[in-house]
Amino acid sequence: MRDFLVVGLSHRTAPVEIRERLAVPPEQLEGELRSLVSGGGFEEALLVSTCNRVELYATSENPGEAMQHARETLSARLPEDGRDDVLYSERGVAVVRHAFRVASSLDSLVVGEPQILGQVKEAYDAARGAGTAGTLLGRCFSQAFSTAKRVRNETGIAEGTVSVSSIACELAKKIFGHLEGRRTLLLGAGEMGEAAARSLRKTGTQLHVTNRSEERAQELAASCGGRAVPYERLTTELADADVVVASTASPKFILTPELMRGVARSRRHRPLFIIDIAVPRDVDPRVGTMDNVFVYDVDDLQQVAEENLAVRAREAAEAERIIEEEVDSFLAWRRSLELAPTIVALRKRFGTVAEAELARALSRLDSVSPEDRAVLEGMARSLVNKLLHQPMTQLKAGAVEPDGAYLIDAVRRLFELENEAPTSSRPTPEPDKEPSVKHLTAATAGPTGKPK
Amino acid sequence: MKSGLFIATAVLYAIACILYLALLMRGSDSIRRLSGTAFVMALGGHLAFLLLESPTPTDFPLGDLSQVLSLASFGIGVVFLVASYRFDVSVLGAFGVPVALMLFLASGLGSNYAPVSAPVQSAVLMLHIAANVLGLVAFALAFGAGVAYILQERLLRRRQLSGVFQRLPSLDVLDTIGLRSVLTGFPLLTFGMVTGTFWILRGDTDGFYVSQALGLLAWAIFAVGIVLRITAGWQGRKAAVGTIVGFICTLLVLFGYVVRAAGGSA
Repeated sequence: MRDFLVVGLSHRTAPVEIRERLAVPPEQLEGELRSLVSGGGFEEALLVSTCNRVELYATSENPGEAMQHARETLSARLPEDGRDDVLYSERGVAVVRHAFRVASSLDSLVVGEPQILGQVKEAYDAARGAGTAGTLLGRCFSQAFSTAKRVRNETGIAEGTVSVSSIACELAKKIFGHLEGRRTLLLGAGEMGEAAARSLRKTGTQLHVTNRSEERAQELAASCGGRAVPYERLTTELADADVVVASTASPKFILTPELMRGVARSRRHRPLFIIDIAVPRDVDPRVGTMDNVFVYDVDDLQQVAEENLAVRAREAAEAERIIEEEVDSFLAWRRSLELAPTIVALRKRFGTVAEAELARALSRLDSVSPEDRAVLEGMARSLVNKLLHQPMTQLKAGAVEPDGAYLIDAVRRLFELENEAPTSSRPTPEPDKEPSVKHLTAATAGPTGKPK
Repeated sequence: MKSGLFIATAVLYAIACILYLALLMRGSDSIRRLSGTAFVMALGGHLAFLLLESPTPTDFPLGDLSQVLSLASFGIGVVFLVASYRFDVSVLGAFGVPVALMLFLASGLGSNYAPVSAPVQSAVLMLHIAANVLGLVAFALAFGAGVAYILQERLLRRRQLSGVFQRLPSLDVLDTIGLRSVLTGFPLLTFGMVTGTFWILRGDTDGFYVSQALGLLAWAIFAVGIVLRITAGWQGRKAAVGTIVGFICTLLVLFGYVVRAAGGSA
């Protein structure tokens, strides 16, 4: 019975030193997949490798052994101690749910971050390229992508940024439109200030760095790709800057209303965005009431981050509901795969019995005219059809219901159809836990990816 | 036929209005598409209505006040539509479409208005009206951007950064739209003022002082605003407030005409 399995590690289970050992560079993905599949044990395989996770998704006719094989393959690349603690594995429907959650960024370090979907798509493309993604993985992942899209469109999970640096950048964009060619002045050498300045630098602003210690300013400028300017020129620098990141260790306010009034005059009303990351603060709160000057301190930014995180957490609950819906629809698809062979097998079984009985009856009757023979044959056929009509209708209708698998399973067992449809492929439960049919409806949400 | 088209257009404008407000408050791609569609349909209806109104295909439909209002409303609609694609700011529709709707409804109320004064035969009067209508259209865009600017700045200062703040464009974009529209509208308004004065001096019109004073006031506000923007680098909230007051004054001038045409005294 072909079934899904996943083995891997992520930021939840392993530190970066371990994760990087398993990471597969994109250009080697296809080769890696081919060698995995040719190594035997897997029918299909797909490898997701990002900086936060490395996961091998596969399907196999013999999932138990395949999982063992996958664990061994991956753990062979890990350091000796604790290799079993970092690898998690899942089987059956849990794999589908996990894939949907990963693609929808519910399992990400920063929930709702947008990169993961692209990375999973790349992984899927690589598997297609290597020819290791067949019907099951193909359907699973294309549905994972549509699920991710639904989650993004129907919930606010990706709304709002959640790190202080990126919030600072977002705000700057909301004031200045685009940031290319604008100038950021980094005042002081606090760590968070440096991070914010780096983020701003990445958006295309020029960066000037100033500090009471010239040497420190030089160092910082070199490390952030900015230019060091002497502290004595603070007033002119303030007049020329668009964004000021203040993070000095000064116990007193540095940007006072008196200083800033002079600066504002030479700025000719150009807007100024001041991010005060220093504790104690560098900017007198009165500066924030000046026209065209916007001051945000670290608490403001932190608060925005928390609000956004809270929004995401609320939205994640809604996202989990969407995931369950999609998992159900995936299972319905799988059941429909099974329904067809079951119907064929059932017809065949009844047909065989009818033919055998007809042959026996005919052999006992002598001198049967061709007309009588045709009547008897017709009766046998219509008997089979009439007897099967009701169960078939019920089976077709019931198979798409959530507990349709019970029905199919019951029919298969009642008529001993197991051997007649060897192509059947049902998801199996997590090993040795529950009978397979129950597993199909088990929809307990919860973070997968915990070490087992 | 005509009244049916008028009502249909007004309803479409109203639907677009509500959808744009919903876009501002809730924001989603489907609302964005719906509001755009409703608005384009409203403009289509309006265009058909204008063509129906126009006496002959070659005549500019500026014959009476109703047509002037209707054309101004249409112009505002077109300008907001263009701006929303040009600057990627469809939420601004929430501020512009109500103005267009208001003027359109006023044009309908005034379908009984007598012609402006003498039938518009004079080229000067024709140019006067055309310039003022175009000026009004430009200022309407500046007004929409100004209202959005003030709202956006307020949200930024109060640290209300989710929802509406996310959907409104950046302060810089809003300020730029405001400045450019004022710079476009101002020469038109100036031209309108000059031709209007010329009209009065010819003595073809009786005393109409409130409107003239308001027109002059609006002109002065925009003039001072532009001078301050250019010489002192004025921008931001104060500039936006100036633009809004100026636009309201120009609207009042038009309103004065409406009241007068409807039989009141201006």
